[in-house]
Amino acid sequence: MNAFRAELLKATTTRLLLWFGLGLLAFLVLVLSIHIGSHDPESLRELSTQRTTLGFGGIAAIVAVLIGSLLVTAEYAHGTINQSFLAVPMRGRLLTAKLAAGVVVVFVLAALADAATLLISELWYHGRGETLHLGSYTLAPFLGVVGASMLAGGIGVGLGALIRRQTGTIITILLWLLIGEGVINAAGDSARFAPGHALGAVVAAHRTSTSGDMLAVWPAVVVGLVYVAIFCGVGFLAVAGSDVPSRGD
Amino acid sequence: MIEVEHLTKRFRRATAVDDLSFSMPRGRITGFLGPNGAGKTTTLRVLLGLALPTSGRATVAGRRYRELDAPLRTVGAVLEASNYHPARSGRNHLLVLARAAGIAPARVEKVLAQVELTDAARRRVGGYSLGMRQRLSVAAALLGDPELLVLDEPANGLDPEGIRWLRTFLRSFADSGGTVFVSSHVLAEVSQLADEVVIIHRGKLVAHQTVAELTLQAAGATRVRSPRAEELLARLREAGIDGDATESGVLAVHAPPERIGDLAAEAGIPLHELVADTGSLEEAFLELTAEPRT
Repeated sequence: MNAFRAELLKATTTRLLLWFGLGLLAFLVLVLSIHIGSHDPESLRELSTQRTTLGFGGIAAIVAVLIGSLLVTAEYAHGTINQSFLAVPMRGRLLTAKLAAGVVVVFVLAALADAATLLISELWYHGRGETLHLGSYTLAPFLGVVGASMLAGGIGVGLGALIRRQTGTIITILLWLLIGEGVINAAGDSARFAPGHALGAVVAAHRTSTSGDMLAVWPAVVVGLVYVAIFCGVGFLAVAGSDVPSRGD
Repeated sequence: MIEVEHLTKRFRRATAVDDLSFSMPRGRITGFLGPNGAGKTTTLRVLLGLALPTSGRATVAGRRYRELDAPLRTVGAVLEASNYHPARSGRNHLLVLARAAGIAPARVEKVLAQVELTDAARRRVGGYSLGMRQRLSVAAALLGDPELLVLDEPANGLDPEGIRWLRTFLRSFADSGGTVFVSSHVLAEVSQLADEVVIIHRGKLVAHQTVAELTLQAAGATRVRSPRAEELLARLREAGIDGDATESGVLAVHAPPERIGDLAAEAGIPLHELVADTGSLEEAFLELTAEPRT
């Protein structure tokens, strides 16, 4: 518990979350403005459009995987991992604390992303003289955003532990999201099991599969949990079996 | 307090530490010396659980570091002065460590005062001078009020004032019953501070002695001037003592002045000069770590 509380303090005593939060907010303003501004009034009134609009907070899952990875890699980049392991020498315990803290941090971030999405959407709908219908159908993606972000944060922690180099980890994540997930579409229906597709299905939060390349929400959650387990398992083993980098002799 | 047993650490083909064994008792200041690349940092990192040994073991109070119940309360370590997040304040850096180790936050204020950083505690560490960062490292090491301090090149980059502060601090820590294990290549510092030294070279132990023993070992010849120098030299050689005539009436004798004086007195030979050429830790270090000439 001490290690978990320390990890939360670490995450909140730098400007990492502030910058990611502001960046996410700016991005949401931009994409929601483009999305809502480009639909005609009739389309805006459709519940499916409103549900899609309120799922834009799913961008938080991308930020979550980056934050999760940075909770580990930033420590290696700045050398603070040395003192962290001196205070908590059982490496598995420290990394588990990072995983738990990462999940809590991105939970809060995702909730704020949902709130921002709702606020921005309300303002746009109001401005265009339309009404958002807030019911279980349209608000379902809000839970999906939180769930997907928590899973993404866990994957990020595992990936950070596996690669440990900050720039390398960020590049790997971005390349996968920008290229890897697209390339894997060639695999047909199997693509729905790719990490990005699975987390997208969690955000979409459909109880049943609506298309061939997208899982229903609960199978997608299970797939996400499997990814968290794999990345964290392999990453934690990699950290446990390696030396902490040093600049001395 | 510290026990290193047949420790070997290899990095791919390079052997950083090679079957190193030594032990260090409680309540003393032990210097850990060796040229750059000798394996000092690697040994300390294995001791602190940051590097995994290839074979052998290094323990503190009979246990591996990661097996200690309360590691920060047992060992305080000062490693590189660059191990900080530049955007975190000095106080928050210590609070994070205190929280992780289950140490009361009040202790943070105490160690900040101890290292004279209270006024700078709210500033981000990125704006600290090297000396301030080194003092913050010392504060982190003191958080758990440990009985052992392990320091890796703590004087690196410090200005003379910082070095003096560190020396005074470590001496007071040892005087209050603490044990200090300090690696350094600043030999003058170690000779002023340490009770004993462990010297390694190419990962192997080359000496583990008190500073006094080591400097005596490095002592050069005793200069002797006598009007009957040749007769004295003969008597010394009869006693198995080696020596040479360097100039008229002057001998360089490889024995302590007391021994030479006693022999001269027994033989009734007058001495006009008897001066010990005292060695230094630096000379001893250079002798022990000299590369063989090819």
